[in-house]
Amino acid sequence: MMKEYLPFISTSINDTIASLSYFQSEATLVIGFLLVILSDLFLSKKIPQLSFGLTIGILLIVMVQSFALLNVENMPLFGGMVMMDHLSILFKILFCLVSLLFTLFIRYNRSLQLHEKGTGDLYAILLAVHLGMNLMAMSANLLMIYMALEMVSLGSYLMVGYISRDQKQSEASMKYALFGAICSAIMLYGISLLYGFTGSLYLNDPAFISGLNNIPPMALGVSLIMVLVGVAFKLSAVPLHFWVPDVYEGAPTPVTAFLSTGPKIAGFALLIKFILLINALDRVFFDIELVLASMAVASMVLGNFAAIWQNNTKRMLAYSSIGHTGFMFLALFLAPGQGYKALIFYMFIYVIMNMAAFLIVDEIEEQTGKQNLNEYKGLGRQFSMLMVCFVIILVSLTGLPPTVGFTAKFFVFSTALDAYNSSGSLMILIMIIIAAISTLVSLFYYFKVPLNAFLKESNSPEVRINSTAKAYISMILAFLLLLLIVFPSIIQQFL
Amino acid sequence: MLSLLIFLPLVAALFILVLPSRFQQQYKFITLGVSLIQFVLSLFIYFKFNSSALAAGINKESQYQLVEKLPWIRLNLGNIGSLEIDYFLGIDGLSMPFLILSALVTFVATLASWEIKTKLKAYFSLFLLLNTAVIGVFCALDFFLFYVFYELMLLPLYFLIGIWGGIRREYAAIKFFLYTLFGSVFMLLVIIGLYFSVINPATGNHTFNMILMMDPANYSYGSIFSAIADKNLFGISARLLAFIVLFIAFAIKVPIVPLHTWLPDAHVEAPTPVSIILAGLLLKVGGYGIIRVCYSIFPDAAMQTAWWIGLIGVVSIIYGALNALAQTDLKRLIAYSSVSHMGFVLLGIASSTIEGVSGAMLQMISHGGLSAMLFFLVGMIYERVHDRDIANFRGLAEIMPQFTAFVIIAFFASLGLPGFSAFMAEAFSLIGAFTSEQVNGLIPRWMPVFASIGILLSAAYFLWTLQRMFFGQPRLKGGEEWLSRLNDVNTREKLALIPLVALALALGVFPSLLFDKMNASVLAFVQLISG
Repeated sequence: MMKEYLPFISTSINDTIASLSYFQSEATLVIGFLLVILSDLFLSKKIPQLSFGLTIGILLIVMVQSFALLNVENMPLFGGMVMMDHLSILFKILFCLVSLLFTLFIRYNRSLQLHEKGTGDLYAILLAVHLGMNLMAMSANLLMIYMALEMVSLGSYLMVGYISRDQKQSEASMKYALFGAICSAIMLYGISLLYGFTGSLYLNDPAFISGLNNIPPMALGVSLIMVLVGVAFKLSAVPLHFWVPDVYEGAPTPVTAFLSTGPKIAGFALLIKFILLINALDRVFFDIELVLASMAVASMVLGNFAAIWQNNTKRMLAYSSIGHTGFMFLALFLAPGQGYKALIFYMFIYVIMNMAAFLIVDEIEEQTGKQNLNEYKGLGRQFSMLMVCFVIILVSLTGLPPTVGFTAKFFVFSTALDAYNSSGSLMILIMIIIAAISTLVSLFYYFKVPLNAFLKESNSPEVRINSTAKAYISMILAFLLLLLIVFPSIIQQFL
Repeated sequence: MLSLLIFLPLVAALFILVLPSRFQQQYKFITLGVSLIQFVLSLFIYFKFNSSALAAGINKESQYQLVEKLPWIRLNLGNIGSLEIDYFLGIDGLSMPFLILSALVTFVATLASWEIKTKLKAYFSLFLLLNTAVIGVFCALDFFLFYVFYELMLLPLYFLIGIWGGIRREYAAIKFFLYTLFGSVFMLLVIIGLYFSVINPATGNHTFNMILMMDPANYSYGSIFSAIADKNLFGISARLLAFIVLFIAFAIKVPIVPLHTWLPDAHVEAPTPVSIILAGLLLKVGGYGIIRVCYSIFPDAAMQTAWWIGLIGVVSIIYGALNALAQTDLKRLIAYSSVSHMGFVLLGIASSTIEGVSGAMLQMISHGGLSAMLFFLVGMIYERVHDRDIANFRGLAEIMPQFTAFVIIAFFASLGLPGFSAFMAEAFSLIGAFTSEQVNGLIPRWMPVFASIGILLSAAYFLWTLQRMFFGQPRLKGGEEWLSRLNDVNTREKLALIPLVALALALGVFPSLLFDKMNASVLAFVQLISG
């Protein structure tokens, strides 16, 4: 038995060794993960913020390594388990941005810093999750996809429950873990069905695609949708969004900021793969495009309308992020291949906006204990600079000039209208109009912040507040949003 | 040159932001200085302006003046070619007058800002930001850039009304914002649709260049807004639909009945300087947009809907005037009179005759000056006694003779007394509308007839107000206390009012000051839209 495989061993070893050189950034992450754990175990007493410094350093190295491979063309690694291309590298760079901001966020979040557990483990978990996200962006094999997804999920469960101070937080982490486990179980079931039908796990394997073309359309549709359930959970797309508001509210704010950016974007990286797969199938079976379109519309409508009724700022941002998911859908499946430029641009901006928004929400909560929108009255006077930045960020989230949020939204609309132009499908036009209306709706809730902070006076006594590092980071990010509308080429040159 | 005009206020705003608060009494002088420099620059542009037929502008890029064109955003979008967005500024006879108006109105509004006492740093930076956006709109020739400036106007206004406004300021601010955003979100979709339809013949790329959008030959065959392909959307012609969407977006700004309800609220709640900017400039952005964008890019759809636009104009004139008659608040009265007077702009444009379009342009400039003056005068009373109910004042002529003189000038000029600009403007709009039936058959004769009733009504409400508030025995609600506070016009206020009186008189006596400069452009415009 063994003998049959003997001739293949040397080629597969050669292949693996050759692949390793493209796998530097992942290797760095693995080594970094170990280093952070070790340093936290043995050195954290002597050098308190060592793991923070290490994490930042590792992430920067990963970023540089990713940039070095930016222009790589379809490169199958490890026997096709992993597929590296320009798009996946862009995703990896995005993840670096997310993780860097998240690390800074952890560093300057008081409740995490003061917690008896310390933050060392959190940095280690982050690096592991980051590795998982990288793999999600690159994997080309169903098992690999599942493994990467689980890696991200497990890490996220830990992060959400990292400091379970009260019942609400425990409930959030429990809810997240249960929901996640069920969704990934469904996904695994879908994967096993696909494997059963085709005998292959490689997404771009011709045998896989021809196998899919030969099975009953209903069965194919059902198993694909089962796989998509796992992805949609990460995307927090309607109807798999139920966990979002509670988890976002209950989790520590830095973790919320991370969940609304990192894993979500990784989910999109996966979704792109599945959409390419669906496009490669030659039979029109089960209108899966319609399913995706209704998910997008439902996410935009539900996210934006539900956000209007929220009073807790984090819950409001949670619903708004559901709305943004719907909007990113629009860019994604209308023109896969070309649409990704608009999408990646949007995601870059989305990461900056969302991270900055949560940074400010956290800063306000720590300084004043205010978590609700109607308590923001008069804050414009106390934190004038910070609130101005918050307004800039919210304007950008709405997608209005003079912020780059407008440019990003504009690119997405352009892609969508182009798709309409070339296909003439009414479905796309309806989506575009709903996207425009939901932009208008989003103004209602985003502008509750300046409405309360600047337009209403408060009776409560003013407290003088010293700006913290977190405030400065968010100011820099807000400034970036203004800068990038004038010089969008800073990002574009890499796309 | 134009960039200097646009970004000078922005630089000043940044300067104010970094200046420590102990200099806050100096902010208004910085702002005033900026508006003076702008005024001088715009006068310089006015005198240098080439008004020959070879520099008419409108749909010929080479004929624009003071052009600045830099590539701004180039994003390769795959199979549809690269996104071509330029930083493209330029003026012709239809935009140049607005530059002078902007500088003048800003100057007056700055002088009115003396009454602002709180949060000066924020106030003046927002004020200057607004100024940047307004001038940017009038200069931009790239649709993307135009839209950026257009939207940029919203935010400062929201805060200026919302923070320094009256009691119901929050309601007024968000109402204003939502109305305008409603129009502009859909405008964005039309802009993108236009972008995909129009190809720059020089580069082969799709483009946002507004001037190229005016030439039907640049539309790629089969594209959504191509005149030849004549595609349908939801059962109506795509071009007609796009025209209607754009028209609604700008008409909300003008404003037209029935999309005007934000205006009285915004005006009443806004502080005086913001009212001045709102009435003097922002309403004009709407009118300018209709001329520059709706009519120039979709002339075919404009011809189809001319009857309706004329009707909307007439309804606005009559309805606005009737509402003004019923008001008890002086500021609200003037707000409704704006609705009424802006109706003439629509009527003039709808007639698509040379007289009508010239009249509409003159009406915008004239109303810009006069409404600024009216709101300034209301602000003066309000600043002194914090009341502006018509019924609470009587016999002001004896208490404040100079003030009354200015009010009489402003009222008579607004109601269309010959010798003032509004008379010329309204006369030309009406002449245009009357001749339209003969020239192009767009506007039936009964429309200008009804519109003239509006002039009559405006005489009624202005004279009635004059009689109620200024003549008769002095009787004030606040008694002696008010009497002591109602001082006559001071030097600063005269400084603001006199240029506006001068403008109204100059354009009333020598309308050729304006007509000569824009005639070539108006001719080219009428030629463009009537094919």
